[in-house]
Amino acid sequence: MKPPASTFSKAPVKFRMPTADNLVPIRLDIEIDGQRFKDAFTWNPSDPDSEVAVFAKRTVKDLKLPPAFITQIASSIQSQLAEFRSFEGQDMYTGEKIVPIKLDLRVNHTLIKDQFLWDLNNFESDPEEFARTFCRDLGIEDPEVGPAVAFAIREQLFEVATQSVASARESRLSKKGRRGFEYVPASKAGGAVLDLVKLFGHKSSVVRKRKEWEVYEPIVDHLSNEEVDALEAREERNFR
Amino acid sequence: MAEAKTMAAISPPKEPLGPSDETPSKPPLSSQTHFTTAATTPPVKPETPTTPTPTPTPTPTITISRETPPATTTISSKPPNPLPPTSSDADVVHVPSYSRWFSWQKIHDCEVRFLPEFFDSLSRSKNPGVYMYYRNSIVKQFRENPLRKLTFTDARKTLVGDVGSIRRVFDFLEAWGLVNYSPSAHNKPLRWDDKETKSESKSGGGSGAPLDSSAAGPNRESSKVVCSGCKLVCSIACFACDKYDLTLCARCYVRGNYRVGVNSSDFRRVEISEDMKADWSEKETLHLLEAVMHYGDDWKRVAKHVGGRSEKECVNQFIKLPFGEEYLKYPDSGDVDNKYNPVKDQVAECALESSGASCNSKRMRLTPLADASNPIMAQAAFLSTLAGVDIAEAAARAAVRSLSQVDHGASREHLGTLARNTELREADVASNGDAARNASEGAYVEANSQLRKEELDVERVVSGITLQMKEIQDKLVHFEELDLQMEKEWQQLEQMKNMLFVDQLTLLFHRSSAPKTDERMEQKNIRTD
Repeated sequence: MKPPASTFSKAPVKFRMPTADNLVPIRLDIEIDGQRFKDAFTWNPSDPDSEVAVFAKRTVKDLKLPPAFITQIASSIQSQLAEFRSFEGQDMYTGEKIVPIKLDLRVNHTLIKDQFLWDLNNFESDPEEFARTFCRDLGIEDPEVGPAVAFAIREQLFEVATQSVASARESRLSKKGRRGFEYVPASKAGGAVLDLVKLFGHKSSVVRKRKEWEVYEPIVDHLSNEEVDALEAREERNFR
Repeated sequence: MAEAKTMAAISPPKEPLGPSDETPSKPPLSSQTHFTTAATTPPVKPETPTTPTPTPTPTPTITISRETPPATTTISSKPPNPLPPTSSDADVVHVPSYSRWFSWQKIHDCEVRFLPEFFDSLSRSKNPGVYMYYRNSIVKQFRENPLRKLTFTDARKTLVGDVGSIRRVFDFLEAWGLVNYSPSAHNKPLRWDDKETKSESKSGGGSGAPLDSSAAGPNRESSKVVCSGCKLVCSIACFACDKYDLTLCARCYVRGNYRVGVNSSDFRRVEISEDMKADWSEKETLHLLEAVMHYGDDWKRVAKHVGGRSEKECVNQFIKLPFGEEYLKYPDSGDVDNKYNPVKDQVAECALESSGASCNSKRMRLTPLADASNPIMAQAAFLSTLAGVDIAEAAARAAVRSLSQVDHGASREHLGTLARNTELREADVASNGDAARNASEGAYVEANSQLRKEELDVERVVSGITLQMKEIQDKLVHFEELDLQMEKEWQQLEQMKNMLFVDQLTLLFHRSSAPKTDERMEQKNIRTD
């Protein structure tokens, strides 16, 4: 199977999330007076900025946090949004890119570990749909897992996208010509393209090797209360 | 007062209000219940104080048994905390009547209208399917525990999607009472305190407001005054001295329990008893009415004008006043002297004479007939209220009598209008008391009888004319007959003439042909025969 060489020469595309809907993953981790607020959700960057204030107030009120959180939350969201928007005008390399996505998260009493491949070129991809199907297939009962999974995927995609912007910029500066696009990302994007070549080279088949099954298998663990407490304590220690 | 949440017609409003209505409404409200956002119109309109009803009527709610939604593509939504599995008909959920349209499988027009982002196909991720997923999950989540208020954060934590859209759906559902709607909170009459805290706070839904305001309510109503002398709560009356910033209860004041240097005349009496609060003096009511007339809905200024009453009390008192207060548009009594109609002099004079004896309370009750387009009528109405009931009745009777003495030559319509005017005038007076009604009825009856008499006269005359016409017709017929007869006779005469002519001819023939008499005679005979 010949690697499709034509895809290497794709013209760069304006930066955006490589998903069907251009949503920004926002992560909040604020501590005020010993109270810690952690949250992660998806935000639509085309919402007006007034939404940020409204959302912050609403969240603080719903969770009965002290009002000092409002400004912190709002500013955090704003800064992440600004960062996202700063990438927006720039070009993004969109060559052949299949990246591994790793899930390693704990939501309430559910522990999830998973790894899979994701096509960065597919601008129709939908992490939300993936998350919904994931939870349904694995029979996860906690409704908070779905959004967490979607968020994790989105976050990683966002990282990869920003990296590709940086790499595109760099490669254009350093090297000129199409060849530059081919090889530079191969070294900088974490070896994803390399895997692809190996996977779909004429020597191997599409079916995954047996020894790699465990790597790519989703693991869902339900923890008991003590384990949850232990993990949380460990996380706090790491945080500090 | 009636229920707080009234929906504007669903074309909101009202909001909705709503939605009456509308929604509010129509209901575009960035948070109808929050009275802020502009995304959705509020289907709920803040309850405007209307005429007091004896019992508060709750907004009609429909209760639907919880239906299990069809299998959706959502993640299974059993909550992590152990709740007993909800059987479908076990519990009953209350839904306000303006949200009757809700159904698990369908999307209603108002949803399309208020949340167009999902239906305009601009964004690939926002489509009706996604909307239904959000909506159904939120409603299901709420209904699992309808007594607990579902916060937006809870909802969005469990939904996959961008929080902006989820928030809008959540606000929409909350505004329309599909989420966080507990009828128990609404069945009790909404106090003014609750309404104020509702409009101020951004609490979601009516269930939040009464709970929040319960703490604030007592603080607002009872301003406990503690005597600075004996440190007890002043109950009935307290004496405040502004010079030295002292507040003494009545007992301390009487006993002289204040510092040296403070004179007893420095104190002014401040009534705080509940009874006193309820009683509005005439003067205060007059002030109130004037203020409302000038300032309309600006209750702050009204309260300032009245002096000594809070806005709340002003509004309360205003709505307690008789209905006529709403038509509060009468000119100053000073101008009345200049505009008098001589026809109504009698009424005016009677009223003037008795105005000195008028009682104050009458002034408060204005008549509905303060029609700006007819200032004279308005003043007559006003005067009739100044005067007492009996006097007004007597004046009306005198007026009617004088009118009845008017020449009958006046057209019927004039009389009718006058009668109507007196009728109206009487009606004004009658609004004050029942006694005047008889006079008005009497005048009315008289006018009616006169009308009937005139009608009879006319009829008689008309019938006379018809008789004469009949006579003429008969004569005509008779003449026609005579004519015919004449014709006939004339014809007969013609015939006889002809016969005579024939006879003459035969005679001639006879003479000329004498020899041939036999034949000719025979012929003649034959001929004449």
